[in-house]
Amino acid sequence: MNKEILLLLSSGILLVMTGVYMLVLYRNLLRLIIGVEVVAKGVTLVFLSAGVYRQDIGFIQSLLVTFIIVETVLAAIMLALAVRAQKIYRSLDIRNLSKLRG
Amino acid sequence: MLLWVLLGLMVLLSIGCCIFKDLLYVAVSLATISGILALVLFLFGANIAGVFELSVCAGLITVLFIATVSLTKDSDQKVETRLPVYFVPLVVLIFVGIDYFVIQWVAHSVPPSVVPRPSGTFQRVFWELRSADILGQIGLIGAGVFGILSLFRVTSKEKKHE
Repeated sequence: MNKEILLLLSSGILLVMTGVYMLVLYRNLLRLIIGVEVVAKGVTLVFLSAGVYRQDIGFIQSLLVTFIIVETVLAAIMLALAVRAQKIYRSLDIRNLSKLRG
Repeated sequence: MLLWVLLGLMVLLSIGCCIFKDLLYVAVSLATISGILALVLFLFGANIAGVFELSVCAGLITVLFIATVSLTKDSDQKVETRLPVYFVPLVVLIFVGIDYFVIQWVAHSVPPSVVPRPSGTFQRVFWELRSADILGQIGLIGAGVFGILSLFRVTSKEKKHE
């Protein structure tokens, strides 16, 4: 297999693992959002490696555009949730958010 | 060589996101990761995705993130984690080991090349092959707007309190 594809895949997997590490181990809501974003960057690299492997960049680009839209909407909602949580609980510690109700 | 440097920088900055204490540095690191990812996309000819990544992820999300950090600055700036920060290099080494084995497995089990069956240009794929998905994307953006509006809705109880 092409070295470039393996390099893309390898970096993507490393980014995903780093993001999951942040998601599992951190308690600050903003850091969890950053973790989700880092995972999203890793997934983008894995998508790109798939596109290069299949030599079908057009199709992968359209998937990436959809993925970027999903990522943006997700980030916006999570950040709004963080602002709201800070307003109500005066803290971004996820242990204090267990009582968060709509 | 350039790809090695760019991807290495991305991984280093993602590790920096785990280590940096100040959330503003973390936000700037994330923006830099997005910028480098856009460069990688340009390198492989995915120009439109690169432009989206640069403008939306490196631009819009960073602005939103820095605004949120400013709005919530008075509290949790300290790094609070279930594992001390000095364990991060060890964890990264474990991740690199796992990554090595996964890549070895992929390199040996996936055929070296496939017969290319290109679906066409981005425009053809996006507007013709995946035209139904555009509705989904519009719905998604609508859901995002509705979600933010409902999160910032001021209830009558809050109005009375103010």
